[in-house]
Amino acid sequence: MISLDGAMGEGGGQVLRTALSLSMCTGQPLRIQNIRANRPKPGLLRQHLTAVNAACAVCAGSATGAELGSHELTFLPDAIRAGDYDFAIGSAGSTTLVLQTILPALMTASGPSSVVLSGGTHNTHAPSVHFLQHAFLPLIERMGPTIRLDLERHGFYPAGGGQIHVHIEPTEQLKPTELLLPSPITGRRAIASVAGLSGSIAKRELAIVADHLGWEPDCLHIEQLADEVGPGNILSIEIQREDVTEVFTGFGERGVSAERVASNTVRDVQRYLGSNVPVWHYLADQLMLPLALAGGGAFRTGPLSKHAQTNVHVLEAFLGSCIQAAEIDGASVEIRAQPRR
Amino acid sequence: MASRLPKRTPTVVIGVLGTTLDVGKGPHRWERWRPTVSLCQHEDFVVDRLELLHDANATALAETIVEDIASVSPETSVVRHVIELADPWDFEEVYGVLHEFAAKYPFDTDREDYLIHITTGTHVVQICNFLLTEARYFPARLIQTSPPKRSSSSPGSYSIIDLDLSKYDRLASRFEREHVDAIASLKSGIETRNAAFNRLIEQIEHVAVRTRDPLLITGPTGAGKSKLAGRIYELRKHRRLVDGPLVEVNCATLRGDGAMSTLFGHKKGAFTGATSDRPGLLRSANGGLLFLDEIGELGLDEQAMLLRAVEEGRFLPLGADTEVQSKFQLIAGTNRDLAAQVQRGAFREDLFARINLWTFKLPGLRDRLEDIEPNIEHELERFARERGQLIRFSKEARAQFLRFATGSDATWTGNFRDLGAALTRMATLAPGGRISEDVVSDEMKRLAESWRGVVRTDDTELEAVLGAERLAGVDLFDQVQLACVIKICRESRSMSDAGRKLFAASRARRSSTNDSDRIRKYLAKFDLTWEGIQ
Repeated sequence: MISLDGAMGEGGGQVLRTALSLSMCTGQPLRIQNIRANRPKPGLLRQHLTAVNAACAVCAGSATGAELGSHELTFLPDAIRAGDYDFAIGSAGSTTLVLQTILPALMTASGPSSVVLSGGTHNTHAPSVHFLQHAFLPLIERMGPTIRLDLERHGFYPAGGGQIHVHIEPTEQLKPTELLLPSPITGRRAIASVAGLSGSIAKRELAIVADHLGWEPDCLHIEQLADEVGPGNILSIEIQREDVTEVFTGFGERGVSAERVASNTVRDVQRYLGSNVPVWHYLADQLMLPLALAGGGAFRTGPLSKHAQTNVHVLEAFLGSCIQAAEIDGASVEIRAQPRR
Repeated sequence: MASRLPKRTPTVVIGVLGTTLDVGKGPHRWERWRPTVSLCQHEDFVVDRLELLHDANATALAETIVEDIASVSPETSVVRHVIELADPWDFEEVYGVLHEFAAKYPFDTDREDYLIHITTGTHVVQICNFLLTEARYFPARLIQTSPPKRSSSSPGSYSIIDLDLSKYDRLASRFEREHVDAIASLKSGIETRNAAFNRLIEQIEHVAVRTRDPLLITGPTGAGKSKLAGRIYELRKHRRLVDGPLVEVNCATLRGDGAMSTLFGHKKGAFTGATSDRPGLLRSANGGLLFLDEIGELGLDEQAMLLRAVEEGRFLPLGADTEVQSKFQLIAGTNRDLAAQVQRGAFREDLFARINLWTFKLPGLRDRLEDIEPNIEHELERFARERGQLIRFSKEARAQFLRFATGSDATWTGNFRDLGAALTRMATLAPGGRISEDVVSDEMKRLAESWRGVVRTDDTELEAVLGAERLAGVDLFDQVQLACVIKICRESRSMSDAGRKLFAASRARRSSTNDSDRIRKYLAKFDLTWEGIQ
């Protein structure tokens, strides 16, 4: 039984999701206490329960304490079962966070799976579908599995109603991969999507991108989505390299101007372009778990966020000392996965 | 796919569609705060089923809301109920419609947890929902939703309000204090020690603040029935449960034609001597409390009229053509066995059934010996308050009196009335405000003297017929005979029937005699009549 303090590090839902993934993949039972302690609404929320529910379904597991507001959860996994799954997430909660919880198990399962998730597809504080499609999943595929993610319908907060469909061809053993130095940039793209809102919002966002990054018009795309899925606005900026694509996402919000959404996102892009690393923060967070499971591989990224450090603690609780983080210089860190004991 | 999550009690929300607040078309409706949708958007709260009430005119809006809830809350099933509300501001109509919904709804409180959403609908709808929940027609708690503080797309907040106030610690302790105060008040502030009596008072407190039904207080004379009725009135008045007066009458003082008129009033000219209208005691008690002591003394006609007045709140004054109204709470007192009187036909069975709903039997002083001491303190305090004179017992005198009072020679036939009188006498006679052993000795003699004249039997009937005062003037020799005569009379169909039993021996010897006349004359010696003792 792996015991974790849910209040460690940032103490959010991330500890829960990472721990569930690892419990499923390693078959080790899990107990988390102090779930989301010190938060305004402490304990398990709906989206966390959906993740627990999904985890139970995928590995025929059982859970105690899986209730709204619960501060303690015990999770007992069984064998991972590939197959067809359908999960609906309430309150426009993130489909990608639930996918993130069950994907490590399904991509090392004994057969192919097909998962339909409905709810929010582009949520703040969650990887966007665009990010998964273009940044994360291509790297996972390089490690062995074949994964196709189709965005069938956008779902923005608060209306939700989005849907993604994921096909997973698993691999027996994940292969290590390395991303140490930034390779040459092969393409650039900025997509401003709007649904149920004026197209001028997209234009104003792209104007900022063109102005601040000096990009040509052929890199800038407006995506006018069906009104029914709105209201919603997303700005996705891609930096394509030979071996990795980084995606930066800005979320339009009520009361925040289009210019501010765009310039915040562009600032992140500029920091990435000015660095000497191929992997930026969000991608770094996502990559650690697959590499640790692969028992090898490495990447370089910026200084570790508290989020990433929490992730390392959870990984070590399950896998022992599996991640080595070495500072290269003040602005970059090399993450290297160790062979599992 | 099996997921083995524990089953929790499903949450069911019942709410009226808000035809103003829930409105919204196109994508921008998501930028509005819509209470019914917001219910289903909270991260820490899941509605398993929503019972959505709406008018037929609002069907299109209801359908949009159902779709939107399906999008934000796949866990929620929404059941629409079309209700007819011509005027949602008409209290009577709204209450009627919601009451009917509540009556027909198959509540299953063991399996489901119900919440009434009170944010939507007109103020009248909200008030009716509140009232129906408070009256437990909706066995539910209330849920109130509020918009987000800043303009944002967040669902805002919600709060669940339980109208069961005992669930709130701070309120519960407040009620506990009130409860303790109420009990102290019912006991006139006397710290009684008798467990059975204390339990009885707690029951009375519980009932007195909750019901407008009649109360029946039984117990021997002097046990404190009248005082308790007064205390119940004070308690109900303090809680604003009555706004009328306390009207008190001893039915033993109501005799003959005057009884009807005293109780129910008369019109001018209803009978000889009715020179003006008289409202009657029942009408004076309107909105208040009527204490009818010795209710067993009430004549059968008066009983019939009283029953109607208690049940309908209406009765006919003497000589009046139309009924008058008076709503009052009835407290009846008696030292008689009313059930036995019903058997004999001396008390109406239907009236007895009506007033026998909450019956409290006050014990006599002999059954509460441990309460003598606190009552002595209480009487001395009362004396001090009324006469402005502080009275104390000498240590020896107190011990002497207590020994006597709790001893087997003290019969306390007049119960607490005797004790109060004894204390008043001793306090008055106390030299220099100090009750000495001499004063106590004299009082002990006086009490023993007064009790000697009274048969201490279970026959309180005799006292009820004659009154304690007159009974004290009747020799024990005569009391025994009188009690027996009354008993036979009551068991007999007629005066001659009673005569055959009472004078059976002499009848056998003599050819003819007027037995009825002998009985009439015997009763007349005690100012009694055949009719009067029935």
